[in-house]
Amino acid sequence: MELRRPSDLAELDGGVFVHGGTEVVPLLNDGLLSAETLVDVRGVVPRGVHDGVIGAGTTLGELEVEPGIPDALREACRLAASPQLRNMGSLGGNLLQATRCWYWRLGYNCRLHGGDRCHAREGEHREHAIFANDFCASAHPSDVAAALIALGARLRTNRRELAVEELYRLPDEADRRTTTLENGELILEVELREVEASAYLKSMDRKAWSFPQVGVAVAKVGGETRIALAGVAPIPWRIDGIEALDAATPLPRTEWKLPVARAFVRRALAQLG
Amino acid sequence: MARLIRTEKEVEGRFEEVWIVVEEDPLEQWPEGPREVVGKPATRKSGPERVRGEARYTTDIRLAGMLQAAILRSPYAHARVKSIDLAPALALPGVRAAIGPGEAHGLSDEIGYSGAAVAAVAADTFRQAQAAIDAIAIEWEELEVVLDPDEAVRREQFTADPRRYERGDVEKALAQADVVVEATFRTQSVLHNSMETHQAICEWVGDTLNVYISTQFIWGVRDAVAETLEMPADKVRVVCEFMGGGFGSKNGPDEYTFVAAELAKRTGRPVRAALTRREESTAAGNRNATIQRLRAAARSDGTIVAFDGEFTNAVGWTGWNASTEGPMKMLYDCENVRTVTYGAKINTPPMKAFRAPGFVEGTFGLECLVDALAAKLDMDPLELRRRNYAATNEGTPISSKELEECYRRAEPHWERRHEVHSRSDAVWKRGVGMASQIWYGGGGPPSYAWVRIGSDGRATVITAMQDIGTGTRTAMAQIAAEELRLPLDRVDVVLGDSARGPYASISAGSSTVPSMGPAVRAAAADAREQIEDIAEQRGLPRDAPVHEVVDLLEDAQILGKGARGPNPTGMSVLTFGVHVVEVAVDVETGEVVVERVAAIHDVGRIINPLGASSQVEGGIIQGIGHTLSEDRLLDPETGRVLTSTLDSYRMPTIADVPEIVCEFVDKPDTHLTNLGAKGLGEPPIVPISAAIANAIRDATGAEIHELPISREEMLRALEAAKRKEKRGAPAAV
Repeated sequence: MELRRPSDLAELDGGVFVHGGTEVVPLLNDGLLSAETLVDVRGVVPRGVHDGVIGAGTTLGELEVEPGIPDALREACRLAASPQLRNMGSLGGNLLQATRCWYWRLGYNCRLHGGDRCHAREGEHREHAIFANDFCASAHPSDVAAALIALGARLRTNRRELAVEELYRLPDEADRRTTTLENGELILEVELREVEASAYLKSMDRKAWSFPQVGVAVAKVGGETRIALAGVAPIPWRIDGIEALDAATPLPRTEWKLPVARAFVRRALAQLG
Repeated sequence: MARLIRTEKEVEGRFEEVWIVVEEDPLEQWPEGPREVVGKPATRKSGPERVRGEARYTTDIRLAGMLQAAILRSPYAHARVKSIDLAPALALPGVRAAIGPGEAHGLSDEIGYSGAAVAAVAADTFRQAQAAIDAIAIEWEELEVVLDPDEAVRREQFTADPRRYERGDVEKALAQADVVVEATFRTQSVLHNSMETHQAICEWVGDTLNVYISTQFIWGVRDAVAETLEMPADKVRVVCEFMGGGFGSKNGPDEYTFVAAELAKRTGRPVRAALTRREESTAAGNRNATIQRLRAAARSDGTIVAFDGEFTNAVGWTGWNASTEGPMKMLYDCENVRTVTYGAKINTPPMKAFRAPGFVEGTFGLECLVDALAAKLDMDPLELRRRNYAATNEGTPISSKELEECYRRAEPHWERRHEVHSRSDAVWKRGVGMASQIWYGGGGPPSYAWVRIGSDGRATVITAMQDIGTGTRTAMAQIAAEELRLPLDRVDVVLGDSARGPYASISAGSSTVPSMGPAVRAAAADAREQIEDIAEQRGLPRDAPVHEVVDLLEDAQILGKGARGPNPTGMSVLTFGVHVVEVAVDVETGEVVVERVAAIHDVGRIINPLGASSQVEGGIIQGIGHTLSEDRLLDPETGRVLTSTLDSYRMPTIADVPEIVCEFVDKPDTHLTNLGAKGLGEPPIVPISAAIANAIRDATGAEIHELPISREEMLRALEAAKRKEKRGAPAAV
């Protein structure tokens, strides 16, 4: 395997991008990702926070103590992973992490891997999705993605600008991917909007190093209240209001997520004032 | 004088009759209370080595020319190998040898769980060995899979004959009782998840096999390897200097050791076989799940008149039928007790002993049931426990029992509940719960130690025992230092190598201190007596400091030897304790937070109070994981372990640790050995889950029936309590 360390965007030419390595290295070890060339993008992705723009190379550990960002994002970073992982993991990488669905991680030939069934639906699924779970019941693990969507943030890649929401797509029969990122496309910056208030609440089954059972991000942006959830659908999930939870389609062992989501949405909205 | 006796030996609640040679132990116990060294807090002897990274664990060992092994494991839960071809593996780069079913103990062509070992490869690197494993051509015939323990019981598919017990007349007592409570409890399968995975390095030197292994029982590995390979026992040398956790799962050799030995023989090179984390989560053992269908009956004055229990241990493909019914038989003075215990043989990974096997699960069920009884009797749970205090163990005298004293010391913690309740609000409900603990922990013979003292006045304790991370080196050094009247820093302990010292007991079943400590003290006393004789000959007082007596010895040495004496005959040796737990429950989301644990334990004399409180804290933290977040999940279709990484299998983090208050009764068991000390490894994990569940009941009225108490289980219990309250309330007019 070859490791490249470009210092200029112009040098990018294929390969698998790696930043902190907290996701890519385990996937390589488990054979879920194969790469002849690894591209260490730390030399080309901006890092740090300036005037509402966050370099995608900023680590979660840096953001959790950053006073100049909205509460929801700072909390989402603080509650994610473990201190060791937050010290390595980048904001951009966090948005692109794959599901924690154990069937997918163990390489079952499930729909996300191109197969023709979702093993979790009939199998063990207590941590899985309660929305959009018909084709694939995986749950999206990124706290940060839900926070950024609630905050109405936008991304700049080496090819385009887009809303964070537009980064994600539900997998379907024709296309099993969960992001719209193209080959060779690299997230460079996250642009925040002016936010009046925001909050992130997260249900965890231990106090650190727990992916969201349910994560709830809320924000008041330009007079609008935006809500986005983590851990409830194959991609970060936006809802208009608490009543939207009535439309959830939980599986038998994920029904418990609904009262948790209701309580957290209510509490998060109350925090907005 | 050596004496041959027939005695009952207990390990992990399992008994066997054995012949042993014991040496009488004429030493009087030290008086109660802290001594010069024993009974005072001592930091770890090996602490600096560990934090500097100098301590050499099995996983650190790299022998010259060492090859790496990988193991092919079954993807099916029940299957037969129709054909296997190792040739494609052997053709790959770096591969030195490959073996298949029957070629090493533990490699089989008939497998009963997903993850069972079938074949193995040795290569220059682990990656090469893994690639070779993937290249092995294998054809399977799938067989019928049974994963449901109740289904296995219906089919009478058992790992051992069902165990039945009855005293008194349970049916009659149930019929005549004033109050009967009934509940079904389920506990999950949990993983030991030792930091250091199971592993061994085998190296042939002439006709001797050196086994470097992460183990809780050096001599058990020696004997099992020698027996399986049909070798003289002393031609197997077993080394384990430092060990990264075992919790009951590392009591014997297992397939990786035999794979390494066979591949080492075939290649003429040392071979390391180390499980990956995913293999560790599958093939290294687990605490089996249980189903407990229980009833208890009492008179209105709180006298418990009957216990009735049907216990199903979901043992797995191999393992043993642990004593889940033990607490029901032993904890209370109850005339009528009936139990049946099924060991369900199912196509799941093997059960192995896990820190108080059976009693952890059984205490959860029993002590939750007792609180349900207290609620129905409208009686204080502590009072109910006291009222049914057992003075004997089913009629057998108990060598020492200070549970009443534990209850007395629990009172101030129990009294806090009024203040704890007052801190509840609309969302967070707070409560206090308790549970009692009973377990073994008396250890036993044989075990031996030597003590060597040089003219520098330093002593070295030599015994081929293992320190499994519990602070054994320190405790043994303290005992020797006390007996020799030496400061602790003048005593070293050499252990961890069967070629360097005499036989030593297993470190399991809370037995290391009670088994080894008396032998170490006896050896130190033997040396001390010799030193006193020399002092007398030099015209010094008999109790002159050691270095003054031995300073002219030059290269001469004082050699002491000691053996573990017998256990008291006709008595049960048991440990006791009580936990009082404070919890907060978010009644909207089902989140449970353990806020405070008071743990009061009676394990006889405490050797090292600092080490002892570490044991209690560790047991409680591990128990909180068992109670709230850990769950070994299987795919219901394939029987494959789904939670095989440390992010999906959730052990508590340091952020989850509550305030823990440890107290010890610290009263020597006057019948037990020259120390009066029992073991503490297991007791602290026994009562914690029931105490947490009882605190949840106190806080919310919800009755917990299942471990782990996930959000799902907590919300179910809250919902059920709400429905029950509605039914019980007077109809609205």
